Amino acid sequence: MEAIWDGLVEAFRLIGSGDGDLFSIAGRTLLVSGSATALAMVVGVPLGYLLGRARFPARTLILAGVGTGMGMPPVVAGLIIWLLLVRSGPFGGFELIYTKQAMIIAQFLIATPLVIAFTAASIQSLPARLPDLLTVLGAGRLRTLWLLAKEARLGLLAAVMAGFGAVVSEVGASMAVGGNLAGDTRVLTTAIVTETSRADTERAIAYGLVLLAMAFAIVAVLTVVQQRSPR
Amino acid sequence: MEARIEGVRFAYGDRPVLDVPELRIEAGRVTALLGPNGSGKSTLLRLLAGLERPRSGRVLVGGKPAPQARSSVAYAFQEAVFLSGSLRANLDLALRLRGLAADERRSRLAEAAGACGVAHLLDRPANRLSGGEAQRANLARALALRAPLTLLDEPLAGFDERGRGQMLEELPALLRRFAGTAVLVTHDRDEALRLAADLVLLREGCVRAAGPKREVFASPPDPDTAELLGYTILGTDAGLAGIAPGGLRPGPGDFTLTLQVEEVVDLVTAAEVIGSSGGRRIAVRCPPGEPLPAPGEQVSVSAPTEMVVSFTVPAPETVDRASRASVA
Repeated sequence: MEAIWDGLVEAFRLIGSGDGDLFSIAGRTLLVSGSATALAMVVGVPLGYLLGRARFPARTLILAGVGTGMGMPPVVAGLIIWLLLVRSGPFGGFELIYTKQAMIIAQFLIATPLVIAFTAASIQSLPARLPDLLTVLGAGRLRTLWLLAKEARLGLLAAVMAGFGAVVSEVGASMAVGGNLAGDTRVLTTAIVTETSRADTERAIAYGLVLLAMAFAIVAVLTVVQQRSPR
Repeated sequence: MEARIEGVRFAYGDRPVLDVPELRIEAGRVTALLGPNGSGKSTLLRLLAGLERPRSGRVLVGGKPAPQARSSVAYAFQEAVFLSGSLRANLDLALRLRGLAADERRSRLAEAAGACGVAHLLDRPANRLSGGEAQRANLARALALRAPLTLLDEPLAGFDERGRGQMLEELPALLRRFAGTAVLVTHDRDEALRLAADLVLLREGCVRAAGPKREVFASPPDPDTAELLGYTILGTDAGLAGIAPGGLRPGPGDFTLTLQVEEVVDLVTAAEVIGSSGGRRIAVRCPPGEPLPAPGEQVSVSAPTEMVVSFTVPAPETVDRASRASVA
């Protein structure tokens, strides 16, 4: 119990003193997970829209695949990307393995199914006649998409939160494809694992607190935006 | 604004939904598309709005293909659908999408909302309006556009009986004031006759009759169409006969039938004698004071000649010929 208390005190001291390592790892975490989530939104929202609106034979199968992807263990995503990017793999020539880019790709793989599924569900929950109404009123294709996205914003913001929440907290994929290289690919989750194995509890707790605070701050901002919207 | 349908065939997948060789919607008039569920009425309305594209043929609105004429069309869907936000924001968005200036939008919005009885609801969330309120708001949005062609899909659906009665009284004046040409979909004969000047009768995706309502009503081309208009269809020695709604009276007359009485229903202000004749079930309204038969009795009922239509030509041929003649 005393160790935990000492750890918390030390953690707050590290945060308060502006510890260089701590803030550089936190910044890297934000960059990697933020980029992966942004990319997942760019790809996942249009795909989710299509799956939510369009009707085609393989739709249910694809939705089932997306649902399975939502439950994919991060370490499996990491393994898939590792196999693709490792020097002897099909994309080894790009020399991306053990880089931040590799981590972004792996986290993108984790976040995208979540974004697709949340987007599809939120689009499906809109009244079926809404796109027709906007078309008849004279909204062009882009305006219609924008107005529908505004209508589905609760679900879309939930998609961002779910995607970001999943990738910022994963450790397996980052470890597998990033290699946890100090000063380069170490992020908060892999740093916590490292410091715990070194028995540096104070630092591990400090990293954990920063990770929680970061996740809370981002989700809180999104929640405020989400809940402020008029219904 | 006139609309024309030329050689249109439409199907959902492999299921044919509409086959209309020719149909003209007259400018400046209210036309009702009347038919049972699944007859293709709403699909025809969607084609006019440019929301569906026919497999073959053309749909022209004001001379332009329907998808290019959307700015000339207002459409009130059967199910009132709104975006989140107030009713005012919803009505304003519709006008904004038509590119109207703020002053014009304000005045049109106030005028349409007032006329449709939703001015007091403008600041309420549109998605929380009751069924009748939402339908009025839906109508206000369409009418505020003052489009040359206004399309209304079952405009009286969603109202309770009292609201429906009120709207049935108000709608003709609203259409005269806000809509140049209007096409409405209904499966209710009385609604169609009250609201429209022209009728288009649809059955199984085909136009069975079209034209001014008096003409269509006076000479239905076949028994199916007559039944759609409320005619009672009976077998006679010469074939089939249709008796116009309200045409049957108790007692003998020009066209007399023998009715086997099965039931007498007391409607307080009148009575309805229900029975069968030639294997068909028939209801005859008896005015107050008339002596009523008892169930099991046989009585004579009749219709004046002008209320009786005879069908001697086989139905499919009649349908085809009538459909072409009435729209040409």
